[in-house]
Amino acid sequence: MLFLLDNGAHSIKVGHDHDPSVFQNAIVRSKGDKQTYYGHEIPRCRDRSSLHYRLPCEKGYVVDWDAQKAIWDGMFLQFPKPDIPESSILITEPYFNLPQIQRIYDQFVFEEYGFQSYYRCTPASLIPHGSLFTAPHKTREGDLPLPPECMLVIDSGFSFTHIVPLISGSIVWNAVKRIDVGGKLLTNHLKELISYRQWNMMDQTYIMDDVKERCCYVSADFKADMELSRTKLPNNPIILQYILPDFSLNRPGKLLERGQVVKDASWQILEMNNERFTVPELLFTPSDIGLDQIGLAQAIAHSISLLPEELHGMFWGNIGLIGGNTKFPGFAPRLPITEAYRSAHRFVTSSPSLYAQRYAITREDYFEIGNDISRRRWKGPYSDMPLRVDTRLKE
Amino acid sequence: MAPRRSQPVRQTQASSNPLDPALIARRTKKHLGELEKSNYTEVDIDPDQADGAAEGSGRRGRGTARQTLISDGRPSVHPNKKSTMNIRTALLYKKNLATLIEESGVGNLPPSVPGYFSAVVPPSQEPPRLFCSVCGYWGNYRCMKCALPFCSRDCEVNHQETQCEKRVVY
Ligand SMILES: [Zn+2]
Ligand SMILES: [Zn+2]
Repeated sequence: MLFLLDNGAHSIKVGHDHDPSVFQNAIVRSKGDKQTYYGHEIPRCRDRSSLHYRLPCEKGYVVDWDAQKAIWDGMFLQFPKPDIPESSILITEPYFNLPQIQRIYDQFVFEEYGFQSYYRCTPASLIPHGSLFTAPHKTREGDLPLPPECMLVIDSGFSFTHIVPLISGSIVWNAVKRIDVGGKLLTNHLKELISYRQWNMMDQTYIMDDVKERCCYVSADFKADMELSRTKLPNNPIILQYILPDFSLNRPGKLLERGQVVKDASWQILEMNNERFTVPELLFTPSDIGLDQIGLAQAIAHSISLLPEELHGMFWGNIGLIGGNTKFPGFAPRLPITEAYRSAHRFVTSSPSLYAQRYAITREDYFEIGNDISRRRWKGPYSDMPLRVDTRLKE
Repeated sequence: MAPRRSQPVRQTQASSNPLDPALIARRTKKHLGELEKSNYTEVDIDPDQADGAAEGSGRRGRGTARQTLISDGRPSVHPNKKSTMNIRTALLYKKNLATLIEESGVGNLPPSVPGYFSAVVPPSQEPPRLFCSVCGYWGNYRCMKCALPFCSRDCEVNHQETQCEKRVVY
C-alpha cells in the first residue's frame, strides 16, 4: 500500500488514491464546548467561536513534534487497515527544510511507524509529475505527456510564498525565492482591520478565514478600486455584507446577497469594503504593512533573472500556481490546493517501479546505512553541509 | 521601512522623539511578529484543561522537557511499542524555529550557497504606500504624536480618540 501525505503547515492532504482527505494540521480547543479536536476530528467541532489553536508548524517548519505525532497517529488510525510495515509513504516538506528537522521526519517514518519505504520531497518538485502544465482531457493514466522542460511554480501557502523554478524536473535552488507573506499573515491582518473598524474578531480565526475566502480578491486596478470603495451603498460595487455565524443556533456565516435587506434584527453584519482587496494585495506589495520585500510580480522577474538567459522565455511561458492563496479571484488561473497531492499520486502510479527503485528509501537501508541515507540519496540545498546533531540526550 | 513620504521629521534627540524612524521601524517589526501568532490570547490558558491540550506553543526554555505529552494520551498507531530515544527526544524537547535555525548553522553558509536566508526576496526599491490607519484609504498625513497615517480631518479625530498611543512606546 502507498500513503501520500502532503503535510502542509495549514492543512494535511492524505490518502492512497486520487482523492485525499483534507483537514487542518492543528489541534484546536473550542471554548464553547470545552472539547479538544485533533486534525481529522476538527470538522466535527460545531462551536467555532473562539478556538484556541496549537499548530505543529512554525512558519511552515514542523517544530512541535508532540502535536504533529498526535495528529499523525489519529490520521493513520483513520485508514481501515493501515498495514504500515508493508507500505511506502511519500511525505512533503517545506523548501529549505532544516537538516535536523528532516532527520526527525526520517526517524518517525522508520523508527516510530516502521514503514517499508519512504520518499520525502517539496511540493513544487512533484508538480512536473502532475497535470498542472498539461491539459487534463488530453491525458490518460499511464500515458503522460512530457511536462515542459522549464517551469516556474508559485507556491503561495499558509506561511510564505515561494517562487520555485524547475529545469527537467529538478529544482534550481539558487533561484528559489521567498516572500514572507502567507495565508496566516493575511487572516491576522484582516482580523486587526475588522477588529478596529467593526467587531472584535481577534479570537475568531475560523470566522475570519471564512470571510477572507469568500470576500477577498486580487485587484486588477488597485487605485480605481480604492476610489470605488469610498462611495456609499447602493452605488458602492465593492462592499459585501457578511452575516456572522451564530453557533448557538447552528447557523453558519454567509454573505448577504446584493440588494437583500437585513430581515432579522439578530443578524450581525460585518462589512467588507476596501479590506476585500487591500488584504491579498500584501502578496503583491508587502511594503503596504511595512514588510520591506518586493512583491510577487517583481519576485518572479527576479527569480527568472537568476536563470540561464536563453531559458527566460520558457520560464515566463510556464508559470504554475499552487497553494491556498492562489485561489483568490484575480490570482488567476484558479487552481485546486490539492495540486501537489494529485501530482504525487500521478508520480507514484504512473511508474511504481521507478518510484520504488530510484526514489524511495527502504527500512532495511535506513537501519543498515543509518540516518544519513536520506541526505545522501535525495540531495537538496543543504545536503553538502555537515549535519549538526544535538547529542545531549544520547547515551 | 522608514517613513519617506511623511511630514518633515524633527531632528531632535533620537530616543525621545516620537517620530524617530528607528522607533517606528521597531514598532513595525513588532507588529509583523504579531501577524504570525496562532492565537491572539496566547498567555490566557484555561487552567482547568484536564487533557492538557491547547497548551500554547511551548514557552519553556530549551532543554526543558514538557511535563506531559498530549500524544501520550492519544491512541497510538503501535500501542504496544515503545518509542525510540530519537523520537522521545523530538517529542520532549521542543525548540522554536529561531533556535533551530541558529543550531543548524545554515546562517553561516556563504551568500552564494542557496539557503533559508539567501532565498528571501530583496527589499523594495519604491517608497512604501501609506494607508489611513482608521479607514484604509490613502493616508497622506501622519499623526504628529505617533506617526500613524490618516486621510482626513475626520479620521484624524477618530484616530486621536480611539487609537493614538500619543507616543511610540516600543
Ligand atoms: Zn481615513
Ligand atoms: Zn497618533
